[in-house]
Amino acid sequence: MAKLTEKHNYQGTLVCVEGIDGSGKSTQLELLRDWLKLIGQDVIFTEWNSSELISQTTKLAKKKNMLSPRTFSLLHAVDFADRLKQVIAPALKAGFIVLADRYAYTAFARDVARGVDPNWVREVYSFAIKPDLAIYFDIEPKEAMARICANRAPKFYEAGMDLKLSNDPYESYMIFQGRVTKEYKKMVKEFGLVRLDAMDSIHSKQVEIRQMLIDVLKSKGVNIDDTI
Amino acid sequence: MTQFKTKNGYDGLLIVIEGTDGSGKSTQLELLKKSIQAQSYGVMVSEWKTSRLIANVIDDAKERNLLNATTFSLLYAADFADRLENQIIPALKSGFIVLLDRYYYTALARDVVRGQDIEWVKNLYDYAPEPDLVFYLDMPVDVLLKRIIGTTGLNYYESGRDVGFSTDFYKSFEIYQNKCLEQYNNMKNEYNFKSIDGTKSIEDIHKIMNAEVQKILNSGVLD
Repeated sequence: MAKLTEKHNYQGTLVCVEGIDGSGKSTQLELLRDWLKLIGQDVIFTEWNSSELISQTTKLAKKKNMLSPRTFSLLHAVDFADRLKQVIAPALKAGFIVLADRYAYTAFARDVARGVDPNWVREVYSFAIKPDLAIYFDIEPKEAMARICANRAPKFYEAGMDLKLSNDPYESYMIFQGRVTKEYKKMVKEFGLVRLDAMDSIHSKQVEIRQMLIDVLKSKGVNIDDTI
Repeated sequence: MTQFKTKNGYDGLLIVIEGTDGSGKSTQLELLKKSIQAQSYGVMVSEWKTSRLIANVIDDAKERNLLNATTFSLLYAADFADRLENQIIPALKSGFIVLLDRYYYTALARDVVRGQDIEWVKNLYDYAPEPDLVFYLDMPVDVLLKRIIGTTGLNYYESGRDVGFSTDFYKSFEIYQNKCLEQYNNMKNEYNFKSIDGTKSIEDIHKIMNAEVQKILNSGVLD
């Protein structure tokens, strides 16, 4: 687990957001990206399960509900490794601010909630680079469900239906995302994730996030003007 | 019930044939399958990199040179997990004799040669059941080279060209296969390989393998 617990020496800065769907993390990351671009920073964005190599296969397999928890875990690790080596690491070397919508912690939360051994999955991801700033958007599953399921039922894997916890997708969602949330909360201490309350306003969260990033950049000798 | 148990506690038997490319694994697997079938046992064969889900992705990615050492390892591990959980373990549970062309020893050899940390690779496969028998077809590199050039020809990954040992195909193959053999040699004791001289005749090798399998069957473990 060396790399995920040791500071990296790249010129660039790695920021990731974590939390269950509906926690508002993507909105916050988008606001952050737009602002960084506006003030002229070199920034790139990467998101979970989006690599050219494997993301389509994973999506197809999910549609057919044919993945065991371990295969599910390894396919996401392939996706992550592909993006880490081809996108994230080169950008960090070139001095970019890299914004990641979900990072290895997503795997630690979800896979463990699916019954995969916590040490096993941590070792699988031991090649990951430790982020300079990792923010966890804490939300109660029932609040998240109210947000994302306003006009649709929870999806199969999102509800953890593969675990046969309940035949009712809403009930299954509550149990499964409850487990995921429990894993996230543990990681606040284990990996130093910064916890934000997802129920705070969009504005107050964005103010906090920008300030945290400004501080991180300052510690790396980058002073940015946020008067815009 | 007998006092004999399979190594992993399942009703069936897990038998593996390992060896580098061109060592004659498939031929032996076929012969073994026939001789076991002839005795009315249920046999299932599964080959490396054949999961419906992932095998095509690997082939496609190799063709387009999309793989780095880490994604190479993880994709094969995903293929293995899929086959293990969807085919191999269900077959073992229902009492089949499962014959495998390669097992995770192949990944250990290849991934380590590609520069991965051996402990990291071992972790990827640490949930896999221990086979009841592992045959290893031991072949010197010069014989392998002739066999492969005479049949399929040298291929990019089998020659380890992706690792960058040499831009010369022949040289690269020689270095790569030698390094793989070194890894297999390190595993012989650790994983209890039944090492067989791969230069012996097809019939002789089959006799040796069959005798070992027969020993287990005669113990009544599947009866």
